[in-house]
Amino acid sequence: MSKRSSSRRDGAPDSSRRNFLKGATIAGAAALGTPAAANTAISGFPEQRRKAALPGPRLAAADASPPPADPVNQSSSGGDFMVDVLKTLDIDYLAMNCASSFRGLHEAVINHGDNKKPEIITCPHEEIAVHMGQGYAKIEGKPLAMICHGVVGLQHASMAMYNAWCDRVPVIVMGGNIMEADKRAPGAEWPHSAIDPAALTRDFVKWDDQPASLQHFAESALRAYKISTTPPMAPVMLSLDQELQENPIENRDRLRIPKFTPATAPQGDDAALAQLAKMLVAAENPVILCDRMARTPAGMPRLVELAETLQCAVIDNYGRMNFPSRHPLNQSFRRSILSQADLIVAMEVNDIWGSLSDFHDRIVRSSEPRYKKTAKIVALGTRGLYMKANYQDLGRYQDVDLDIAGDAEASLPVLIEQVKRGIDEGRKAVFEARGKKLAAAKLATVEQAKLDATIGWDASPITTARLCAELYSQIKDEDWSLVGTSIGLSWPHRLWNFTKPYQWNGLAGGGGVGYTLPASLGAALANKRHGRLTVAIGGDGDFMFVPSTLWTAAHHQIPLLYIVHNNRAYHQEYMYLQAMAARHGRGITNADIGTTLKDPFVDYATVAKGFGVYGEGPISDPNALAPALKRAIAMVKSGQPALLDVVMDQR
Amino acid sequence: MAMMRTSVKHLAVVAAIAGAFTLGNAVASRAEDAPAGDPVNGKRLYLADGCFECHGRAGQGGRFNYLTPALAQIALPVESFIAFLREAPNDMPSFSADVLSDKDAADIHAYLSSLPGRRDAKDIPPILNQ
Repeated sequence: MSKRSSSRRDGAPDSSRRNFLKGATIAGAAALGTPAAANTAISGFPEQRRKAALPGPRLAAADASPPPADPVNQSSSGGDFMVDVLKTLDIDYLAMNCASSFRGLHEAVINHGDNKKPEIITCPHEEIAVHMGQGYAKIEGKPLAMICHGVVGLQHASMAMYNAWCDRVPVIVMGGNIMEADKRAPGAEWPHSAIDPAALTRDFVKWDDQPASLQHFAESALRAYKISTTPPMAPVMLSLDQELQENPIENRDRLRIPKFTPATAPQGDDAALAQLAKMLVAAENPVILCDRMARTPAGMPRLVELAETLQCAVIDNYGRMNFPSRHPLNQSFRRSILSQADLIVAMEVNDIWGSLSDFHDRIVRSSEPRYKKTAKIVALGTRGLYMKANYQDLGRYQDVDLDIAGDAEASLPVLIEQVKRGIDEGRKAVFEARGKKLAAAKLATVEQAKLDATIGWDASPITTARLCAELYSQIKDEDWSLVGTSIGLSWPHRLWNFTKPYQWNGLAGGGGVGYTLPASLGAALANKRHGRLTVAIGGDGDFMFVPSTLWTAAHHQIPLLYIVHNNRAYHQEYMYLQAMAARHGRGITNADIGTTLKDPFVDYATVAKGFGVYGEGPISDPNALAPALKRAIAMVKSGQPALLDVVMDQR
Repeated sequence: MAMMRTSVKHLAVVAAIAGAFTLGNAVASRAEDAPAGDPVNGKRLYLADGCFECHGRAGQGGRFNYLTPALAQIALPVESFIAFLREAPNDMPSFSADVLSDKDAADIHAYLSSLPGRRDAKDIPPILNQ
């Protein structure tokens, strides 16, 4: 409860703008016509007008008293204190689209906080702000904050929050609100207020709160940050009362910012990890399957150490930068080896069943496991530690033989130690032989990928393989970071040599379209301070949801090379529709209706220029691609964003 | 359940045929028995009927719910290709003769056979740079 409302309950006169407006309304009504005329029109029984009563002693006294306090300046505000709290959390950026319900905090950030830690990132849409946070956190290893308008802003933000939820990424979401009904102005403040704003997103945030005091805010902000950044990570939501942000602070000395201590990641049970180590050492064909395993730069080297110790295969679902792409043990494009595995260890894999099953999208849907019946399956991860019921991102239930609840990255040191302890000379020789076979197979896979990439090399529309080969050819000697792709995990991960933790940051999580452009920009924002060359390949359909992201890129001068994979279609749906038409044996030439972006084609380079971003295209001639890439990369290296519109084949 | 078992068995059979696309281990094509294909009309159909959506305009392959095979320089004989189209496995749509005649399918096959396939990577500097 705010101080202002408390004083009202104590009987203090209300000096708010509401009473002012009420008075204005009455005055306006009076001006519309005379009361006598109105009464005549309504009633056929004219009444004798009563004489006005003479003022009594109380009313007379009120009229004689000084006017209620109506200060026009204040020297402190709740927003100032909120900024002080946010500064203790080392939050670098506050992404937002400005709105009245958080004008108090907004003003405090720029003037009390000097627009530093957090610095405002102006976004033309709340979905952009959250997705920027998702991409940023996966590169920088910590969340940024975003704030949105009451109700409608949160509704805009909600899909991106769902993507971040499914992707297990922390984002500190805040939203304005006016809790007390008697404080809301007529008009927009009512539809933009809610009793429980966070209810809209409660199914896909890890925690939420609506602080009722500034002390409450301080404690909830720290709690929110801790909950969001403790595995399994996820967005959190704080609803901030507008009065709380704006009102003067009566006694700043009584407010305390608590000490923040991050929680350690939950590690798997030692005995269970020892059991897993024994299984790994004894297995003839173990396969490690990983998805969102590497949380920090320590994750990848740990997994490499485990795999090399065992000389076992690793299949990466690429939810994070888990394992070097060219490592001899990386068998991600040889998933058929799952059928020969006698032990499969799934690390931070959200949908284990989906990874281990062949599913057939036919009239009668069917599936069969990719692994043999005798294979043992072990799950290691935090996925099961926090689940919700409604949205079904949990995937189908998978039988496992050992389920270790714990953060995989945090559990790896103990697991590695136990594995090393269990290896004798005999097993070492077996492992070495196994590793050599896997290395040879890997080499063949890479060479095959290069050969496959030559098909249609001179074709127009340009093949995705050529785009990826040409792009990598020009960036491979730079400190590059690929932060988005519209072409699945095929060409970049088959062709490029990913070795560093920031060279890849996963996908959307929930599959919500409109992720790639803003999340790439968020990742580029994180890379900017490290001087990395950020590149992304995004679909044209994805771009069309959030084109104004480019304005944010230009305004904040965030260097990013964004290549629009312009296949002039919502291509996945195009293929699905083709399958439906074929299934019905009709209209197989009609599948472009409702699935393609033509008549007119979109000129993405011109769109980019309109937002103040360097743009080139559409590029259809494959021989024009390399020079255009060179110019765009030079622009990005000078610190500016650049867009290339490349007319490409579908995938 | 019976339907499911039949379906899985059927898939196993057609999957074996599907392997012939990419492995190049098909039996020798009996060209003399095959319908004569028109690659020009085949190209038109390949684009109009949506084949390119999954397999690429250059027959380079692509990705649907999984990686889709390259079809340039198709190794599958035309009769097997037509049979494959009629009862395709996995997520590949099946095309009945009502929407794609044997002649049309043979034309598409001729077009795929005419497409240049893989090249020597040593002739392509960006590939060597990978």
